[in-house]
Amino acid sequence: MSQTPRPASAMQPILRMIRLPQFGLGPRIALVVLLLIVLVTLFAPWLAPHDPLKMDPLMRLKGPIEGHPLGTDNFGRDILSRVLIGARLSLLIGIATAVVSVVVGLVIGMVAGFFRTADAIIMRMMDGLMAIPSILLAIALVALNGPSVGSVIAAITIPEIPRVVRLVRAVVLSAREEPYVEAAIALGSSMPKILIRHLVPNTLAPLIVQGTYVLASAILTEAILSFLGAGVSTETPTWGNIMAEGRMFFRIKPELILYPGLMLSLCILSINLLGDAARDMLDPRLKKRAG
Amino acid sequence: MLFKSRNFDTAQVALSAENLVVDLPETPGRPQVLKGIDVTIRQGETVCLVGESGSGKSVTSLAIMGLLPQSLKVAQGRINLQGQNLLPLTQAQMRELRAARIAMIFQEPMTALNPVLRVGDQIMEVMELHTGLSAAERRARAIAIMEQVHLPDVPRIFQSYPHQLSGGQRQRIMIAMALVLEPVLLIADEPTTALDVTTQKQILSLIDELQSSHGTAVLFITHDMGVVAEIADTVYVMKHGEIVENGPVEAVLRNPRAEYTRKLLASVPGLTPRPSRPSEQEIVLKVDRLNKIYGSRGFLKKLPQAHAAKDVSFALARGRTLGIVGESGSGKSTVARCIMRLIDPSSGRIELDGQDIASLSRGRLWPHRKKLQVVFQDPMRSLNPRWTIAQSLIEGPLNYGTPRAEALAEAARLMGVVGLPKDALTRYPHQFSGGQRQRIAIARAVMMRPDVLVADEAVSALDVSVQAQVLDLLDQLQRDLGIAIVFITHDLRVAAQICDEVIVMQRGAVVEQGPAAEVLGAPAHAYTRALIEAAPGRDWDFQNFKAMNEVRDANPA
Repeated sequence: MSQTPRPASAMQPILRMIRLPQFGLGPRIALVVLLLIVLVTLFAPWLAPHDPLKMDPLMRLKGPIEGHPLGTDNFGRDILSRVLIGARLSLLIGIATAVVSVVVGLVIGMVAGFFRTADAIIMRMMDGLMAIPSILLAIALVALNGPSVGSVIAAITIPEIPRVVRLVRAVVLSAREEPYVEAAIALGSSMPKILIRHLVPNTLAPLIVQGTYVLASAILTEAILSFLGAGVSTETPTWGNIMAEGRMFFRIKPELILYPGLMLSLCILSINLLGDAARDMLDPRLKKRAG
Repeated sequence: MLFKSRNFDTAQVALSAENLVVDLPETPGRPQVLKGIDVTIRQGETVCLVGESGSGKSVTSLAIMGLLPQSLKVAQGRINLQGQNLLPLTQAQMRELRAARIAMIFQEPMTALNPVLRVGDQIMEVMELHTGLSAAERRARAIAIMEQVHLPDVPRIFQSYPHQLSGGQRQRIMIAMALVLEPVLLIADEPTTALDVTTQKQILSLIDELQSSHGTAVLFITHDMGVVAEIADTVYVMKHGEIVENGPVEAVLRNPRAEYTRKLLASVPGLTPRPSRPSEQEIVLKVDRLNKIYGSRGFLKKLPQAHAAKDVSFALARGRTLGIVGESGSGKSTVARCIMRLIDPSSGRIELDGQDIASLSRGRLWPHRKKLQVVFQDPMRSLNPRWTIAQSLIEGPLNYGTPRAEALAEAARLMGVVGLPKDALTRYPHQFSGGQRQRIAIARAVMMRPDVLVADEAVSALDVSVQAQVLDLLDQLQRDLGIAIVFITHDLRVAAQICDEVIVMQRGAVVEQGPAAEVLGAPAHAYTRALIEAAPGRDWDFQNFKAMNEVRDANPA
C-alpha cells in the first residue's frame, strides 16, 4: 500500500530505457557513439568539406593532406565527405526497414495471434516469406525495377517481417488468455479496442529490442547488397558502395575500405550493444514482478 | 476420536528452533521477517505451522533447510537438529544433510519433479547422491518405497514420466523421494493445497501412516484450518513473523488464547448450509441442456473428443446464488465460460432475461453482454497492470455510451461500497493486495449493473480472513442490487456459506442438483458424499470452537 507509485503505462519500457543510470559502461559508450554517428549524419551536408561526387583527376589516391583529412579515392573524391554523406543513405535504409518491418509485423502478428481462423493461413505465408533470402530477393527486385532505394528497402524488409510477426503473435497468444482480456470481452469492448488498448502495450518491450536487431542487420545487409552491386545505384555513396569501389585499390590504399568499414562496424556494434541492454532491462524474466 | 492426542513429552527432540530471527540485511531498516520464533518438533510428532500469506511460515521452513534466498539472512538464534546446530554448517555440509536427514515436499509436485526423467530414476538418484548402495539395491529400495506410498502398478509408474501421472500420484512420488533415506524430519510445505479434496484426504492419511511406521517428525505448513484439525498433534499459529499461539491441536481449536487465532478460526466458513432464503419468481438465467465438446474438429482424421459439459440445465432467479461445485476437470469452469460466451457452447440454450444467447453472433450478443459480468480467480491477473483502477472501472460503461464524468462518479461511489479509499482510483493494480484487487474486480463487474454475476473461484486465491470479507461484500451487493450469482468453487465450505442452490459436477456431468441444504445436508449421490467426507476438519465447528456433534446436541433442530 505504501509503495511509491510506479509508472505502469505503455510508455514504461521507453521511459525505462531512457533512465540512463541503469546502463552499464558498454551501453553508455555505445549510446554516445551512436548519437555522434546520427548527429554527424544529420549535419553531413554542412560538415562535409567537399562535394562527395566531385572528381579531381589530379588528386587521385592521395593520403591525408590539407583539405582532405582522410585522403582521396581513385577518382580524386574526398573520402571523408563520401563516408559522411554515405552514412545518410545507410542509416535511412536501416531505419526505414526497422520501422516498416516492425509496424507491418505488429499488425499482421496481432491479427494472427488474436483470430484463430486467420492464424494458420498467415503463419504459413510467413513461413514462405522466411524462406526467401534477402540477397536473392534484392537481385530480383533490382533486375525488375532497376537499382533504387525502394527496391533495397523492400528486399531487406520482406524477410524481416515474419520474424517480427512470430514475436508479436507469441506475445498476443499468451496475453489474450489473461483474465483481464477476458474481462474486457465481458465488458463489451470491441475487438480493435482490446487489440490496441490491452494487447499492443504488451508487445512494445519485445518490439523495441527486436527493432534494434532489425536496424543493425538492415544496415549490414544494405552494405552487403551495395558491395555485391545489387543495392542502390553504384554512383550513390553508401558505405557498401564506397567499400565496393575501394576493393580494387585495396592494396594501394586500404583506407578506402577501412573508414567506411570502421563506421559500419562502430554503428552496428553500438546498436547491438544498446539492443542487448534494452533486452536485459525489459526481459520479463528479469523484471521484478509488479505487486 | 476427533483429534490426535498423543503425548510427546518424553520423545526425543528432533528439531528445535530457538529465538530464530531472519531479516533483510540489504533493505534499509533491516526489517525482520521472523521475529525470534521458537519451534520444537519431537520424534514422531506432527507440528502444523499455520498462518496467512506473509506470516513467515515458508521462511521458517526454508531457514531450517538452509535454503533461504540471497536477500534473507539468519540474524540470530539456533536451529538444532538432534542437538546439532545447523546454522554454522557450510553449504556442502547442508547438502549432505538435506534429503538424508531433513527432507521436504512442496505444493506443486509437477514443478518439483524433473519433467524429462523417469520418476523411478529420480527416486534412485536421491540414493545415488547420499548412499553407497549398488544400482540393484537402489532399484529394490525405490520399488519398496513406491509400494509403501500405495502407488498402483509400481513397475509401470517406475518407468513413467511425471506428466503421465496424476497430481496425487506425483505427490506420492515426492513423498517417496523424501522418505526413501529415512530422514529425521519431513517438512511439508502446503503439500495438498494444489490437490482436489478427495486426493488431499488420501495424501494426508498417507503422510500420517508413513509417519507412524517410520517415526519421522513432520513439520506441516498449511493455511487450511481443516487440514490442521485432521493431521496436527501440535499447532503453531504464525502472524507477521511471530508465533502468536502454540499448543496441542485440541486446546488451540477449543480454547484459543490469542485474539488472532480466534479471528482466524472464526473466519473459517462452516460446512452447514445457510438457511434458505425466500425465492423470487423472476428467472434471470435459464440454462437448458448445455453441452460443450472439445476437439471434435480434426482436419484429416477425427481427433479425440472431450465432453466437458454434458446436458447441464438450471434456472437462477433474481437475487439468488447458484453454486457449481466439483473437483478439477469436472467441467464447472467450462459451464461458466459458456454462460459468459467466452467460449461457444456446442449445443443447448442459455436464456438471459428470456433471450437465448447461446448462438448469437458477436454483434448480436453485444447488447446482452452488460447483463452478464464475471469475477475471476486470480486477482493478480484480472486487472490490466498498465491501467489505473479508474481506467479499468470505466472501461465497460464507456463501451455502452455512459459519459466519462458520470462513469467516474459512479466508480468513486463504488470504491466506497467495496471499502476502498477514493484515491484508489488513480493508482495501479500492483499497489493493492490480493483481497483489495478482488474487490476492485467486483466493483468493475458491478459498474455494469449486471443481472448475473459469474464468480469463477473468486475467493480461492485469498486468505481465509480476506475470503470472508469478499464473501460478505458479494452478499451485501446481492441484497442491495438483486444480482443473481453463479458461484463456481471447489470448496464446499464456501459453497455452503453463500449458495441457495448447488449443482455438483463430475467429469462434465451434473450428478446432483438442488437446494444447498438438501444437497450438502443430505447428499443423495455417492460422489457428493465422497466430496463432503473428504472435506478436511468436517467434524469440527471452527467458529464455535466445538465439535459438530456438540453443536448439534446443544441446539437440536
